[in-house]
Amino acid sequence: MCFPSKFPFAPVSIILLCSLSHIVRRFSASELSLNEVVALVAPMAPSRSGSDACRGGTPEFPAGLRVLVVDDDATTLRIIEQMSIRCRYRVTTCTEATVALNLLRERKGCFDVVLSDVHMPDMDGYKLLEHVGLEMDLPVIMMSGDSTTSAVMKGIRHGACDYLIKPVREEELRNIWQHVVRKIWNENKEHDNSGSMEDSDWNKRGNDDTEYTSSVADAAEVVKGPKKRSSLKEEDIELESDDPATSKKPRVVWSVELHQQFVSAVNQLGLDKAVPKRILELMNVPGLTRENVASHLQKFRLYLKRLSGVAQQQNGMLNAVPGTIESKLSATGRFDIQALAAAGHVPPETLAALHAELLGCPASNIMSTMDQATLLQASIGLKHSHAEHAVAYGQPLVKRPNIGTDFLPSVLTANDVSSGYGAWPSSNNTMGSVRPNNSVERVGTQNNNILMDILDHQQRQQPQQKQQQHHQQQQQLRQQPLIPDQSCSINVQPSCLVVPSQSSDTPQAVNSSASVNQNCSFGRNSIIDYSLLSQKSNNSVSASQFPSRDTKAQGVLYGYTTPSTCSMSSINGNFQHLQNSTLTFGAARPFPSPLPMSDRQDPYGFKSGDSFDQVCLRNIGFIGKGICIPNRFVQNEIDSSVSDFSQMKVHVDSSGNTLKEEPNFINMQKGSRPMVERYQSCDHSSVFTE
Amino acid sequence: MDGLVQLQKQLVDYTASLFHEGFLDDQFNQLQQLQDESNPDFVVEVVTLFFEDAERLLNELTKTLGQPSTDFKKLDAHVHQLKGSSSSIGAHRVHRICISFRNSCEEQNVEGCLKNLQQVTHEYSLVKSKLETLFRMEQQILAAGG
Repeated sequence: MCFPSKFPFAPVSIILLCSLSHIVRRFSASELSLNEVVALVAPMAPSRSGSDACRGGTPEFPAGLRVLVVDDDATTLRIIEQMSIRCRYRVTTCTEATVALNLLRERKGCFDVVLSDVHMPDMDGYKLLEHVGLEMDLPVIMMSGDSTTSAVMKGIRHGACDYLIKPVREEELRNIWQHVVRKIWNENKEHDNSGSMEDSDWNKRGNDDTEYTSSVADAAEVVKGPKKRSSLKEEDIELESDDPATSKKPRVVWSVELHQQFVSAVNQLGLDKAVPKRILELMNVPGLTRENVASHLQKFRLYLKRLSGVAQQQNGMLNAVPGTIESKLSATGRFDIQALAAAGHVPPETLAALHAELLGCPASNIMSTMDQATLLQASIGLKHSHAEHAVAYGQPLVKRPNIGTDFLPSVLTANDVSSGYGAWPSSNNTMGSVRPNNSVERVGTQNNNILMDILDHQQRQQPQQKQQQHHQQQQQLRQQPLIPDQSCSINVQPSCLVVPSQSSDTPQAVNSSASVNQNCSFGRNSIIDYSLLSQKSNNSVSASQFPSRDTKAQGVLYGYTTPSTCSMSSINGNFQHLQNSTLTFGAARPFPSPLPMSDRQDPYGFKSGDSFDQVCLRNIGFIGKGICIPNRFVQNEIDSSVSDFSQMKVHVDSSGNTLKEEPNFINMQKGSRPMVERYQSCDHSSVFTE
Repeated sequence: MDGLVQLQKQLVDYTASLFHEGFLDDQFNQLQQLQDESNPDFVVEVVTLFFEDAERLLNELTKTLGQPSTDFKKLDAHVHQLKGSSSSIGAHRVHRICISFRNSCEEQNVEGCLKNLQQVTHEYSLVKSKLETLFRMEQQILAAGG
């Protein structure tokens, strides 16, 4: 099967979708309902939150708020974590800013708000604030023992939404949701004003079945307008027809291409003279508004400023002002590039492309291409009845020159579909049900037509820009573009599911299944749920911790433990976990051995459904790397495998063989990103054995 | 039962005295409130984290001040950390000393810093033993069936 060099992803995603639906169906037949499974694996969640989730009730906003707390002080961190649990938030903790940033990048769309200490050894809190603002546009709340006016002012200047004086009290934490909502409102207003297209129901997450929609999303929707819970079908295909009033407003996705257009317009005008109006004219992108450009420009300026500061420090070469992006990029590290690319909320995937283009060196963090390759590989390798569809889909996908733009439509689709997925892994209902079918149907159905429809739809969608990114969605989207085409996006979702389920990587023992969230909530937390399922051990703490140190065994998620690599052993371990989690998905059975990627299979052969599922699941996980996995990921002890995976794309490699030879894109991916590690394929025959 | 009641009363009085003498402040109450059935050892856990952190920081401070040329920035960073963690558990006296310690750092006053270090070390060991006593009393109560 030959895949178009550029967009091999579509078929992959389709395949995955198909496989997912297949899996879903398989599991739906299973006796265990998701609730039961969850209940089995996640015993420890505090009853109040647990019961919510387990009962399938959507936690009331602000409960379920996904918080990332960053503080080098373990004592404070633990206290805030506990307070957050009390507030029924889904909290993730981190002791290092760099780890937190990676986490945010890898899990875009998985957090609602960031709480960060000001004084941290590895990175200044304000720097982190800036990065988060540029790349993820999440509300960031600073914390410090320093209550002087100047310190607070500094926080405001850097864009902090709030500034808490330590010691932080629980009442203060209970209020932080306002910043999330405010931001959402403002974004929506901005988008509504600019008339951007709404991709309405991503937010809905197609969670018809899912009761676990993000509480934030719910809250936002409630305030925004009537909730729209159209069927997934509609959402899948009719992205454009979503009612703008209800969904979170689409946000412009600053794809690599778009951003480059922006940059060249700015360069043309000269940074000093670059005004939004003129830039807009030069860019000449339909649907883009002056406001979009203005806000992007603002972020861009901030970014450049920071870059020039860094560059000067580093090598004194860069000069702040009107350099080209390229020059700045070359001077700065990958990190910056990512930030730059991310400035416009460019999906990490596009970062990869940008990276490659501008610097000629792959960004190690940018997994997307690899992920995609992996995903594709995985999907290809899996035998599935839907495989054909994948193939079929591969074709139409060809053309897009720009990965970034591809993302958009795909993202849309993916979202729709994924919402189904989202519901799927996380909620019980999805397990067996329905939900995924709705969205999955489209893809999952062994119906070429549907897939084709989706593809067409996406293709049609492409021109319309305004990817809506509600800030949560946005993150998801960004993550999604892993696969430029809709298929990609679709894939993303599942992967998200899978990945998180891994287990958060908590410094504690692997047993932190609990990290899933205090509420064992599902829904957006497909990951969490999943992890719950897969977790063998339960973690009573709902918060997940991100170890800054290397936690080989447990959990370095995405290699957090070490900045970019994971040890083989941990990977294997992780993989195992990952495998387990994926496997257990729906089955709630831990699988002892990791699922081998389609090692035995001919990637295009679609030989074994099982492996396909597995691979599919695994891939999903991988996709996550660098791609926003829309699920709420509570970092529990998720195995670093998750992270590893993304980095590694091991499976693809390891299995081999055929995968390697596959689609061009994979090759090109490879070029850009060496496989980090080779995953040992394991015997996966046993995997789905009942 | 009378023994148990006695123990409980002792605990209450002891705790009150710690507050009264300024060893602990309201933040400690917050910690106690965060403890519940799903986290029955929360206070002990957090305080233990604090002990570990504090001891590490005190060592660092001692080392840094022992250097021929004092790195005040480093010193300040450590003190800041200690200040933060002590305030988060409500170790009031330790926290207060840290504040003046930070001032000494800012003034680059080595003598002042040495004195502050001595004070903070002293206060730390005091609050540590007091908290350990507190925890022991709680254990006794639990053991007695409370």
